[in-house]
Amino acid sequence: MTYTVELVVPDDCGTGMDGQSVDVDVRDGEYVLWAARNAGVWLPADCQQGWCCRCAGYLLSGSLDQADSRRYYDTDRDAELHLLCTATPESDCRILVCQYEAMLDERASHDLPPGRSKR
Amino acid sequence: MSDEKRHGSGSVQPGDTSKRVGAEVVRERGGDPEEIREKLIDAIGAEFTTYYYYTNLRCFLAGEEDLKEITEDARLEDRAHFELVMPRVFELGGKLPNDIRDFADRASCPDAYLPDDPTPTNILETLLEAERCAIRTWAEVCDMTRDCDPRTYDMAQRIYNEEVDHEAWFIELLSRERDGEANPAGHFVRGEPGEAPYSTNNRMNDSA
Repeated sequence: MTYTVELVVPDDCGTGMDGQSVDVDVRDGEYVLWAARNAGVWLPADCQQGWCCRCAGYLLSGSLDQADSRRYYDTDRDAELHLLCTATPESDCRILVCQYEAMLDERASHDLPPGRSKR
Repeated sequence: MSDEKRHGSGSVQPGDTSKRVGAEVVRERGGDPEEIREKLIDAIGAEFTTYYYYTNLRCFLAGEEDLKEITEDARLEDRAHFELVMPRVFELGGKLPNDIRDFADRASCPDAYLPDDPTPTNILETLLEAERCAIRTWAEVCDMTRDCDPRTYDMAQRIYNEEVDHEAWFIELLSRERDGEANPAGHFVRGEPGEAPYSTNNRMNDSA
């Protein structure tokens, strides 16, 4: 099974595809970040273990599984924020990428790391 | 005399200690010294917490002297990485978090907890994944600084070199321990424990 994930890239993302929307095929069980990078969309990421939040994205539509992340909170899901390095699609999705700052704000608003230490 | 003559270029005036040419030249080349600095704090937070966690992991390798020796090298070299980059944080106008809890919270790699079942195999898997996180992090720092910040880039690529060594060591050891396979790292032993051949900062004097 393969899902179509539309990556909406903000103007200030620094990916080389800023301001564009890019459709990426993501196989069942494959991480969104890996599929995006393989498709030439070099999304930001550091740890790639679902911890640091650098790869955060905002889920505009669809469903993502985040079970493999090392540090992910229910409040993240409530805010539709996901860690794309360890997110696997459960449906076709539309994702606003490069949401690291938004994730830090969201974590800080709930007194959660790393946002609480960076705000 | 010097305060009467402006620098030939740039935004730092003679005698101005509120700015650093060492940071402004990064900006002039398209880099963002504040963004680099914050990423460095996260990255050395991970090196520092790893040094702590490896101390504990190493203790639970009792009787596995070859594994202990390699873990000790990695542990001490991670501390060396923290000490190499820490001054750069200040040079770029930053500082260490006052509270160590904040430092640990923002570390860019997961806590390397002792596994619930602390067998050598489980500990080696923890060590391996910690090194892989470090490799990815320092590769990103290299990407971020390659064309704008030669000093940070030099530090990051030195650390990257050693993290790749560490991954190779733990692949070798885990392959043997878990799978009974030879998967050589091909590296020679360090000259002394935690030698950090690429990344050692200025040696501290003997009284330090």
